[in-house]
Parts: sequence; structure tokens; C-alpha cells
Amino acid sequence: MNRRAQTLLALLALALLVLPAFASNYVMSVATLILFFAFTGQAWNVMMGFAGQLSLGHSLYVGVGAYTAAGLFFHYGLGPWAGLWLAILLCVLLGAAIGFLAFRFGISGVYFALLTIAFAEFTRIGFDHIDWLGGPGGLFIKVAQRDQIDLLNFRGPPAMYYYAMLALAAGALALCAWLLRSRAGYYWQAIREDEEAAQALGINTFRWKMLAVILSAAMTAVSGVFFAFYYNNLFPEQIFHISRSIEIILGPIIGGIGTLFGPILGAAVLTLLADGITELMSAFGIEIPGVKQVFYGIVLLVVIMFLPNGIWPTLARRLGIARQR
Amino acid sequence: MKRRQFNQALAAAGIAAGLAPFGIVRAQSQKLKVGVLLPRSGVQALIGQSCQKGADLAPAVIRQVLGVDIELMNADTESNADTARTRAERLIQEGAHVLVGAFDSGHTAAIAQVAEQRGIPHIINVAAAPQITEQGYKFVFRNFPTAIDLTRNGLALMGEIFRTTNTVPRSAVFMHVNDTFGQAMAKGVGAMLPHLDFLPFKVLDTIAYDPAAKDLTVEVSKAKATNADFLMLVCRLNDAIILRREMAKQRWNPMGIISPGSPGLYEEQYTKALGPLAEYAICNTVWFNPKSEMTKTVGAAFRQQNPKDMLDFHGTNVGYTFDAIMIAADAFRRARTTDPKALADAIRQTDIPVSRRMSLGGPIRFNPKGQVEGNLSAAIQNLKGRPTVTLPAEYAEAKVVFPSPGYKKT
Repeated sequence: MNRRAQTLLALLALALLVLPAFASNYVMSVATLILFFAFTGQAWNVMMGFAGQLSLGHSLYVGVGAYTAAGLFFHYGLGPWAGLWLAILLCVLLGAAIGFLAFRFGISGVYFALLTIAFAEFTRIGFDHIDWLGGPGGLFIKVAQRDQIDLLNFRGPPAMYYYAMLALAAGALALCAWLLRSRAGYYWQAIREDEEAAQALGINTFRWKMLAVILSAAMTAVSGVFFAFYYNNLFPEQIFHISRSIEIILGPIIGGIGTLFGPILGAAVLTLLADGITELMSAFGIEIPGVKQVFYGIVLLVVIMFLPNGIWPTLARRLGIARQR
Repeated sequence: MKRRQFNQALAAAGIAAGLAPFGIVRAQSQKLKVGVLLPRSGVQALIGQSCQKGADLAPAVIRQVLGVDIELMNADTESNADTARTRAERLIQEGAHVLVGAFDSGHTAAIAQVAEQRGIPHIINVAAAPQITEQGYKFVFRNFPTAIDLTRNGLALMGEIFRTTNTVPRSAVFMHVNDTFGQAMAKGVGAMLPHLDFLPFKVLDTIAYDPAAKDLTVEVSKAKATNADFLMLVCRLNDAIILRREMAKQRWNPMGIISPGSPGLYEEQYTKALGPLAEYAICNTVWFNPKSEMTKTVGAAFRQQNPKDMLDFHGTNVGYTFDAIMIAADAFRRARTTDPKALADAIRQTDIPVSRRMSLGGPIRFNPKGQVEGNLSAAIQNLKGRPTVTLPAEYAEAKVVFPSPGYKKT
């Protein structure tokens, strides 16, 4: 990272740190959403961007993570810090099961993607039948007074959630930066580019792909726990739905798959674009349902057509920052 | 407009839109600003837009009835809980005094949290998850039955149908969609039926099916083979059409089709697609009161605003959305202020008589949890191409027809 990049990163960090002092609750909720998708996108990027394993069912880990922590809190009053570890453990086991099934039996590419969708879908259907977790009627966590910060139970004002998500996103960025420069990162990239060649070079592809899946699942479980305590209500239909998986992967795709800042930039662009179009429509007095989605789709199409590697690589070049791939 | 002017206008609008979130203070008006959050796009767009019709006609009708000025601030939740939450924040920032919405329980729960946190009253138009009003919220109010009440009312009306028509069906086959809604309903029906000893029938078989199925031949033959007296159905729209056609194809004419509460049977597309086959299907669900004075007033406004539409096909959505805004306006009239706390206190004291509400039920009064009790369901039967209230008797527009005229005991 050159000096310009360091300066820009420091400025961004400073801006994000002081944002709650100036921003309204609306801006805070949008910023929290951006950071949530940035973090979850980063987790997905470990699997797809670094190791080349396409998952279209990451909502599985968000959902299992969320339900585990929320269920423990709801039934036993166990705070999210205890639930977090069980959520991570369960998601790691799930990720390991999917990874083992796929990699042990040579399932890859679109078939691996289908397997991830299948797991997310049958988990969704399964959760519809778990009465202990509310079934299809949803699980609601009691919402307590929000003026005081209660870190133990992860309860507090919007700024607390914002800073928690900021810390998670920053932590994920640091972790991914370290991973990319570690042996794992180089092995993953080798596997992503050409798995057979990597194998021929002596890389145990099964082991390293498993590591990517497990790590990605664990990180996504953390975002699930955050989701549960931020929204305080969970419905299998919403949290496990494939549309949530798509939401998770859109950020890294638009920002730049396999890059460090791609998921963050992608999440920011997509969320701001969505809200920006709504604001613009409102400013012009246009109130036609669905128009936003049309514009949104057109913009995404343009980005994919003209920036097939995502926005970040081109932007990084323009800013004079070294490429992060 | 020249290109440069257009670009300048676009830039100005963009800047305005961009700066607006940073708390630019807007002029305070004397009107009550009602933020209406509905899923007007996405998978729930059809119902969201239907609810919006009720919101759109509310300002004029309420001005006429209560002499209160309200301004609507519409927001599309896009059938997404994340969007519902941020849009609620946005509306509050723009100066909404009250929030109304948002049809889906998940979206409603997200909005309720924001409302509670910001101390802005939130009046729920449609959302049935019981937990929403069990959270101890002080600013969340709901004039809509909970899922438990909906199922209970739906099953109770079945008993009333049999009593009114002097029929004693001994058996039913229960078919339901296997999506989240269908599973929840099936679970509710399964749990309640054994305790309702006034219902004379036994469920011979329960058949779940995919709401996206393109063919229901096997399911219908299985149901027909049970030789049940009537079909109890929890459906969506498309599957209901396919199922009814298949019943005709297989010449299965049970005493009738009765839904304990689901969409599909009373919808416009069902009637249009099936013509005479749509007749006599019964759905026990929340509805509007066809005999209320308010329905007549709203009906006239509806016809004026939507000359090509029939209120009958939007009645529930329009009725409950209109009533939610009416509750807000009524509270504003009594509180004489837009202060959110005073408005919430006034909403808590709401006592709107039956004549002033459009939806079916008793007077609108909130219990300490913010829930209106006593909202009713009606037995809606397709008669002469329109969904008609046949029960409860005091609201009936026609007599319930059961068994259907084509009934043949096999």
C-alpha cells in the first residue's frame, strides 16, 4: 500500500469514526446497512474472491448464526457474546459439511453453487418447522429501552450498532489483508486461478478450500448474530431466502471480486445507489412503484458491461493506488 | 428544456436529495404528516398497491368527515425489511408525525422498532404476527387481528355456515400450500380444530402442495378419493385457479370449498379466470363492513379515484389502511398537536364507533398492549361474480349458499 492509499484509508477511517456526530438517524441506518453488507460481502469474498468457490447460499450462515444467538437469548437469556461462539461453531460445522461433501466428491463450479443453494433452502424449510424458534411465525427478541448502552446484551442506541458494525468491517478488512499475504492467501489464489495446476504444485486443495469455506462461514455467522440483535425479529422466509444470498454477493461483484476494498465499495455503491435513486425520484416528484428497480437494474447493467472486473480495480488505478488483486 | 438546464436541474435535485439526510430543517406545517410505508414494488407489490389505494383516498375523505388536514408521505418498502427500516427513518427525518404500515409482519416489526426508538406513533394497517404487540412497545398500535384470532375466527365461521344452512358435513379434506404462510395456517388449524367441538366434521386427510405447481392432478385425485364432504383449502391465487379447474376436470363436486382464511378465492383474477367455476367458493377472512356509513363514503371516493376498479376486490386492504389513517387523524383532532407523545396518548384513548370505521369489527379501542380486540372475519362467498359477505348475519349482503348447487354425493 503506497502513501496515497494510506492517506485515503486514514481519511476514510476518520470520516467513518466521526460520522455519528454529524449524521441523522436515517444516515446512520444506511451507514450501518452498508457496513453490514461490506462485512458479509468480505466474508463471501474469502470463499469466492480468494479461493474461487462460488457460494449462492450464504444466507444459510446468516440465518443459522442469527437464529442460534437469538434463540439462546430468547429462551435462556444468554447474551449474544455467548451465543456468538455457538453460532460460529454451528456455521463452521455446516460449512465443513458442505465443503466436505463437495470437495470430497469433486463437486465444483455451478454444481457447488447449487449445493450451497440447496443447503440454504432446506434449512429454510426446516426452520419453518422448528416451533422452538418460532417456526414460520418468526422469532421476536424482546426490545428493551435503547437509551443506555448495554454491551453485555448488545442493546443500545443506533450509534452503538454502527460502531459495532464498523469494528467488524474494519476487522474483516484487516483479517483479509493479512490472509491475502499469508500462505493461505497465495494457495487460495493459486487454486482460484487453476486448481489442477495448484494440485500439481503440491498444494492440498481439499484442505485449503475447506479452510476458505469454514472461515467464510464463521465470519458470516458473526454478521448473522449482529443481524438478530439489530433487527430483533427473524423469519425463515426472509433470512434464509436466496434473495438475501444475492444481496450479499452483489456488493463484492460490483465492487470487484477478490479485491480487498471491492466488497466495501460495492456495498456502499449499491446501498447509496438504491437510496439515492429513491431520493432523486422523490425530488422529481415521481411516484411510480418499481421505477427505482428499473433504474437500479440499468445502472448495474452498465457497471457490469463497462467494468467487468468491478469498480474498485479501475478506481484504484485512477486514484494512483496499487492494485489489490 | 435545454440539455444544460436539464443537467443543472438534475444536479440541483441530486444535491438536494444528497443533503436532505443531513438534517436540513423543513418548515413545520399545521397538517398531520402521515408516513405511509407499503410494499408497492417487489413480490408483495400487488397487495401493497391495493393498500395504497386506501391511503390515497384518505386525506379527502377524512377532511370531509373529521375536518382534519392530513398530508401523506408515501414510501415503498420494496417488499424488503432492510428498506422498510431505512425508509421509516427517512420519513421520520422528513417530519412524519405518525407512521402507518406495512402489510408484512417482518417489515412491520422492523418499522415498529424504529418508531419505538424515535418515539413516533406507528399504526399498523395489516400484519398478523402476534408478537408485534407483545413487545411492550409504547408507540406501536395495531387495528388488525393477530394470526391466532384470524384462524380462530375463520374456523368459528365454518360452524356458523353449517348452522345457518342446517348442514352437518361429517368429513373434510384439508389441502394447503406448503409455503411459509400455508404451513403456519396448517399448524394453526391443526392445533385448534381438536378443541372446537362445535365443528361436526373430521379431517380425513391433509394434503400439502407447492403453490407454484403447474399441475395438481395427483393432489386433487387424492383429495377426491377421500370422499370427504367438503374441501377445506388454504391457498394462494394461481394454485387456487389450477386446483378449481382440476376439480372440474375430475368432476369432483363436494359440498363446497371453504377456506379458514387465505387469499386466492375472493380475488378478481380468480373470478375472471374461472368464470362460473369461481362461484360459491367461501373464504372466511378479514373484510370491510359493507353496511357501514364509512364504507359508503370511502366507496364513493374509491370509484371516483379508480373508475375501472371494484372496491370489492380491494376492500380489506383499502379498509384497514384507511382505518389506520383514520385512527391517526382522529387522535390528531383530539390531541390538537403533532407532538408524538401527545398523539400516542390520544391514540391510546381512541374510541371510533362502528359507523366511522370501514373494516369489519366493533368500535376501535386499543388494549394496554396497543392491540384492537374484536376485529371480525366474514364468510365471503363468490356470488354472481363478486365476493359477497354472507356471514355474520348482521353484516350479510346475501344468504350463504351451502352446499353448492352442483353438489353430488359420490
